[in-house]
Amino acid sequence: MVERKIKTVYDVVCPFCGTLCDDLEVDIDIKEDSVIEVRNGCQIGTKKFFSSNPSGHRYLKPRIKANGEHKEVSWDEALDAAADILVKAKRPLLYGFSSTECEAQSKGVELAEILGAILDNTASVCHGPSLLAIQDVGAPLSTLGEYKNRADLVIFWGSNPVHAHPRHLGRYSEFVRGYFRKDGRNDRFIIVVDPRNTHTAQIADLYIQVKPNEDYELINAIRATLRGVELDAKEVSGVSIEKIRELVDMLKLCNFGVIFFGMGLTQTLAHHRNIDAAICLTRELNDHTKFLLEPMRGHYNVTGANQVFTWNTGYAYSIDFSRGYPRYNPGEFSSVDLLIKDEVDSSLIVASDPASNFPAAAVKNLFKHPLISIEPHETPTSAFADVVLPAAFAGIECEGTAYRMDKVPLRLRKVKDAPGECLSDKEILEKLIYKVKEKLGE
Amino acid sequence: MSLNNLILLTGRTINQGVALEGGKTTKENVRAAAICAFDKDDFKKLDCLVGTPVKVITDHGEVVVYSTISEEGPHPGIIFIPMGPWANQLVNPDSQACGTPTYKGMKAKVEVMRSGRVLDALELMKQLRVA
Repeated sequence: MVERKIKTVYDVVCPFCGTLCDDLEVDIDIKEDSVIEVRNGCQIGTKKFFSSNPSGHRYLKPRIKANGEHKEVSWDEALDAAADILVKAKRPLLYGFSSTECEAQSKGVELAEILGAILDNTASVCHGPSLLAIQDVGAPLSTLGEYKNRADLVIFWGSNPVHAHPRHLGRYSEFVRGYFRKDGRNDRFIIVVDPRNTHTAQIADLYIQVKPNEDYELINAIRATLRGVELDAKEVSGVSIEKIRELVDMLKLCNFGVIFFGMGLTQTLAHHRNIDAAICLTRELNDHTKFLLEPMRGHYNVTGANQVFTWNTGYAYSIDFSRGYPRYNPGEFSSVDLLIKDEVDSSLIVASDPASNFPAAAVKNLFKHPLISIEPHETPTSAFADVVLPAAFAGIECEGTAYRMDKVPLRLRKVKDAPGECLSDKEILEKLIYKVKEKLGE
Repeated sequence: MSLNNLILLTGRTINQGVALEGGKTTKENVRAAAICAFDKDDFKKLDCLVGTPVKVITDHGEVVVYSTISEEGPHPGIIFIPMGPWANQLVNPDSQACGTPTYKGMKAKVEVMRSGRVLDALELMKQLRVA
């Protein structure tokens, strides 16, 4: 029997979703330098740790596309090719950044400024509308610990944490015992509003089935009922007026309520107007009791990307540096809109996979122009990239800072070394900045 | 058989999340994300077995995926495809000037394919490159 030497790393922060669980334990085989066991993680987080081990789809060396095929090259050659593409481009796009650490994100901002590029992160296709709404009407937010200790009424609106944030329910919002919620699940009333009877809805106390794309109407019907208006209708968005009245009574009578909202509000027809209405509802509920809301952020450091971009440029996403100073206009400088209008003539994708996550019309135009991908794994984006720069997994193979969905910064831990010639996103961007400056004669 | 006047929703599923972390270009990702979940009663109307490929068509595109019965029903009139390259062939790219495309709530229709093939992620991308 082969004897294994195992090192256990405790209190590891999971780099998968915005819940940023910080209690993982990871066993590392010292000889192989590979992950052999992950405890406390959810299914997805655990898989992410295991997938950092060398595999058939992990990049170990930089690659350049030649005659339609990727060939492995030296870092110098790959960085030179990447810098060449970026310097020659008139309107380059720098996109991604949500699955990497804050230090790399700030290097991304620096590179965008040097290039006069478009800078965008994945909030552009997920919680961008929430940011727009918060800029419109403000937002009563808090940290997750407050919800855990105080909330006795929890609403999940258009979000399905059982699938998307698997440990959120156990750590902050449903089953966990809080300081004032000593009986855990029994001390909380859970409401789910969704067009589908999701697994989250199946374990809730009340499920409200709303018609797709009609959340805006339902939120405003609740607001009107809260203000004492008699609605002249039998139902709104598929929900009977009696049920809306019942719901409003529950909202008013709770001690501390919270709305966790997800893509069901931001990616449907009304986009940021849904969030506007949800924020206004929360604000108005504070006339009766304490009520807050929280966006369920997806990527583990998309909140960090918004923070870093904001303290560097003044804006959270969709930033254009083409005039030498940052300008902000979602809809004009957001990645999907730019790609659909075919305004971008080269792209640098950092820790993201737009080919999988953008609508087909945008992906077609993304592939028309030179593409650079900083990525640990083969993805539909990197497989067709002209240059692939292999990255280490932030939070597994290098340290860094990440912001939890409630904007609490946590330090990511390094549990093992990166395989092959992989470098951290920060190091890659630093080298790329150096190359670009060299080519620009700075 | 075919079904009209459906509404398509997309989103995260835990199987799709696990599959993408395990490798986006793998067969596991096809099994997890190239599926269309139907309401139980809607599925009966299709008169086919679970796993039969179906072509889903919206105003914005079409794609062939495997059919399945939703565990998160009943949701009559609603079909669900996990987020990913297959769902994104069908979604509405219009962001209404806010940056975020309308990934949920498209009108859709479905046709049962007696001899269709579900493409993997890279084959789908190749199609987009050629188009």
